[in-house]
Amino acid sequence: MNFINSTRAELLKTKRSASFWLSVLGALFIPAIFFMMYYFKPEVFIPMLKGDPWHFHFLRGWQSLSAFLLPMFIILVCSLIPQIEYKNNTWKQVFASPQSFGSIFFSKFLTIHLMILFCFTLFTLFMILSALTVNLVDNKFPFFDNTIDLGSLLKMVFKTYVSILGISAIQFWLGMRFRNFITPIGIGLGLLITTLIIMQWKHIDKDPYAFPILTLDAIMVKPDKLLINHELNSIGYFLVFTVIGFLDMKFRKEKG
Amino acid sequence: MANENIIETKGLNFSFKKGIATLKNVNMSVPTGSIYGFLGPNGAGKTTTLKLLLGLLRNQQGQIELFGKNFTHHRIETLKKIGSLIEQPSLYQHLTAKENLEIYRRIYGCDKKRIEEVLQLVDLHKTGNKKAKQFSLGMKQRLSIAIALLHKPQLLILDEPTNGLDPNGIVETRELLKKLNRENGTTIVVSSHLLAEVEKMTTHVGIIHQGKILFQGILSELQLLKKSQTLLEIETNDPVKTVDILKARFDVKQNANLVVLPFQDNSMNASINKMLVEQGIEVYSLHNRHSDLEQLFMDITANNI
Repeated sequence: MNFINSTRAELLKTKRSASFWLSVLGALFIPAIFFMMYYFKPEVFIPMLKGDPWHFHFLRGWQSLSAFLLPMFIILVCSLIPQIEYKNNTWKQVFASPQSFGSIFFSKFLTIHLMILFCFTLFTLFMILSALTVNLVDNKFPFFDNTIDLGSLLKMVFKTYVSILGISAIQFWLGMRFRNFITPIGIGLGLLITTLIIMQWKHIDKDPYAFPILTLDAIMVKPDKLLINHELNSIGYFLVFTVIGFLDMKFRKEKG
Repeated sequence: MANENIIETKGLNFSFKKGIATLKNVNMSVPTGSIYGFLGPNGAGKTTTLKLLLGLLRNQQGQIELFGKNFTHHRIETLKKIGSLIEQPSLYQHLTAKENLEIYRRIYGCDKKRIEEVLQLVDLHKTGNKKAKQFSLGMKQRLSIAIALLHKPQLLILDEPTNGLDPNGIVETRELLKKLNRENGTTIVVSSHLLAEVEKMTTHVGIIHQGKILFQGILSELQLLKKSQTLLEIETNDPVKTVDILKARFDVKQNANLVVLPFQDNSMNASINKMLVEQGIEVYSLHNRHSDLEQLFMDITANNI
């Protein structure tokens, strides 16, 4: 199938690319800090980890990620992947190859989402690894004695993923639109910082850049509901901006 | 199919900015099986035309038919049969030669062994783990040609493919293109701003200048046309008598106080001068006037553009 071939070609383009290393390092950053915090301050953290240590560990981990690093990662990866074509002057070769506009657009977007999920998976693994390693070094930590609640972990990852769908579609559109990658990153960063300032606004559940934080807040308050308002809004933004981004690319006068 | 044109455009007009036409009524016909040299000085509209053929620019006015079919309605089917190289090399700098080819192999769905074949063809099979960014410009250009050849296209569209190549590389590329044309019947459109380069390999020539096609046909027709376009202008004290003297032997016309006839060569100029002086005419000046096309020739034959 053409779309699958296009996606396989897209995946190869990310080999050794900045977006690949960003995903690996982005996923490693917080688990490494957690390891160091636990290692150097066991007297602070061992009491905090009583009860359900894994739940506390993951929740704190995702919390640290979602506020700023995660939206920032989405902004960067959505610009860096289209940037591979801009930087190398390869758009013209892509558009002169026998691929439908749909394949070109959606294979790239799918690659971005695979990259995001790759980062999520690595992050979860590194979080587990950081806990196990610190427990290995200091056996007073309670991680070995408790099991991971896989259901609630997957639910947290799933909800966080839904919460970034809106930002991903907006940023992908911007990343595809502008040759200079400073523009989409600047716009994204500007919107993210504005969001952090206006977090108390009553309509914050309509601001896609706030969704990851809102999801984390919601997980702590009422963990039972699968998808809440702003997560549905995220899906709405995702659909609208995906269509806008696709049409914008398809009807552009000059390709490549 | 063999006698038909593989590329046929009718009334192609294009402008990047409103009011400034980049292409004016371009009618391009490339016969199947030919090597078509697309010639013109820089900025004449060569790349714009080639980009329109590949759908890289949205067609504004006119028709484009490739392989006898409307391009817009048969885009993917058409692009499968075309290999292209537009402007500077477009390569993934962080990937090796093999990986660059593998990307397009996946898209075109061709056999894995084709990668090794094309790498051999352009002499890049020993580059191993070297990334494209470490390649010289010539190597990059050759890798781009390898990408264009990967899926054995019936039509090759190459925009200035010898740019950045050393003299040896230019000769090798030329021989490679001739061989592809001869052995596989590949039709090749190759653009250049140098007549000398185009003359050495093409069967057909199209000349574009300021967005207009000035000439299109086989190479020998071009040489004839070039001669017939230059005029000799003679200024004398008596244009009427001058015409009388010359009309028996030449196709002369009087244009105000000038006498005009087609230029043949310098010795003819000398003998005309002698003839007129012997008949008592005062010759003020003998002057070759270059037509636009002639001026264009000077542009495209100069080596320093």
